[in-house]
Amino acid sequence: MKRRSAFFAVVLLATAITGRAAEVIPPKPDRYFNDYAGVVSPAVAERLNTQLAQFERDTSNQVLVVIYPKMQSDSSIEDYTRRVAQAWGVGQKDRRNGVVLFVFVEDRKMFIQVGYGLEGALPDVTAFDITERHIKPRFRVKDYDGGLTVGVDLIRQAIRGEYKGSGRTNAERNKSSESGGTAGLLIFLFALVLFLIFVRASRRRGGYRYTGIGGPLITGGWGGSGWSGGSSGGGFGGFSSGGGSFGGGGAGSSW
Amino acid sequence: MSKALFGCLAIAAIIVFIALIGGCAVAGSYNRLVSLQQKVDQSWAQVQNVYQRRADLIPNLVNTVAGAANFEKSTLTEVTNARASVGRVQMTLDPNKAPTDAAKLQEFQQAQGQLSNALSRLLVVSERYPELRATENFQNLQAQLEGTENRISVERGNFNAAVQEYNTAVRTFPTNLFAGMLGFQPRPFFQSQPGAEKAPTVNFNFGSPTPAPSAMATATP
Repeated sequence: MKRRSAFFAVVLLATAITGRAAEVIPPKPDRYFNDYAGVVSPAVAERLNTQLAQFERDTSNQVLVVIYPKMQSDSSIEDYTRRVAQAWGVGQKDRRNGVVLFVFVEDRKMFIQVGYGLEGALPDVTAFDITERHIKPRFRVKDYDGGLTVGVDLIRQAIRGEYKGSGRTNAERNKSSESGGTAGLLIFLFALVLFLIFVRASRRRGGYRYTGIGGPLITGGWGGSGWSGGSSGGGFGGFSSGGGSFGGGGAGSSW
Repeated sequence: MSKALFGCLAIAAIIVFIALIGGCAVAGSYNRLVSLQQKVDQSWAQVQNVYQRRADLIPNLVNTVAGAANFEKSTLTEVTNARASVGRVQMTLDPNKAPTDAAKLQEFQQAQGQLSNALSRLLVVSERYPELRATENFQNLQAQLEGTENRISVERGNFNAAVQEYNTAVRTFPTNLFAGMLGFQPRPFFQSQPGAEKAPTVNFNFGSPTPAPSAMATATP
């Protein structure tokens, strides 16, 4: 414990001296294809995002592409991107089948992180081949659209046969279970209404005066929930992580 | 007479009650210790896997590099020797059980560390052979080697985390009262390499014996 706090003190001191920013783990993206650097044309970004959403439906593999202007860490790219991918939990928990292609435009670096469950289908050599011999030549001539299209295609080809999908993405599954929740709430409210009507009726029959408690309660109940219906978040082609894990598989290149 | 008998019975009942509760507590802790210990052994198996993966890459790497015109022979023999000594240390370890002896783990770590150093030196020396580095075969091997080093650092970290959790359970109250009696001893874990806490110094003299900071050098946590 003592040693650890000493270590943190050293790290703090080091960052203070060199004046470099501390590491930032970026927030989890909510789409499959995320261009935070603004280098890819919107049409290509949209197409690749749709492709990757469909890929999760077909195979359950979660493939993410994230493009940042700069890497916000002093660590090596392979170490930093693994921790980011792990923190996001890309891939299904039991299959651990996530792949994340990181691109840092100003650093001219990229890395493909491969989840445990896909290390066999997408070994380091294949990942290296994709970044070094297919993406890199296109990035060198600033053809980001072409490089990423080829990269996503090759990653999909490599891991296509590994698992079978359920026909729905995680985001879609979460959404439907959410609407299942609202259905349950509706049934509960319906039962409550019946109960109140019953109580009121029996009270009346018993000679009690109508107190009016039931009325506002019922209208309040209907208004507050239900018909406004399913959440608007996520949307078509939204990404929702499954809790996959990463063990350092993958490779990268700089261009 | 009957009053004394009643008293005895009451005391006996209380003792049985306390023993039952204590037994349940011990059994619960025991089960927890067993599962934590299994986690340690599992992560040790992973550590062994990734180190084995590296050892398996070496013959191919050495062959590829040896094929390059007049490649420095001393670097190659160093790698081969380091790999052989790793093999010797590995023979003395039980592959299914994490080492309980700190000296054994230290020995293992030292042998693997020597191999890491020899490999990183090999990569540094290869900088002087541009025609070798241009070959696809060498590039692929280097990518595989780097990936393996990444996996090693990840699995070592996982192993240390598992050991830490187990050791904490063994050492904290009330488990510590009987953990030793039941045969649960604290386990040793990987120490960070001496000098690893210092920032790597940039060394532009590639011929010198100290390993220059490369992707390999940063792989040891």
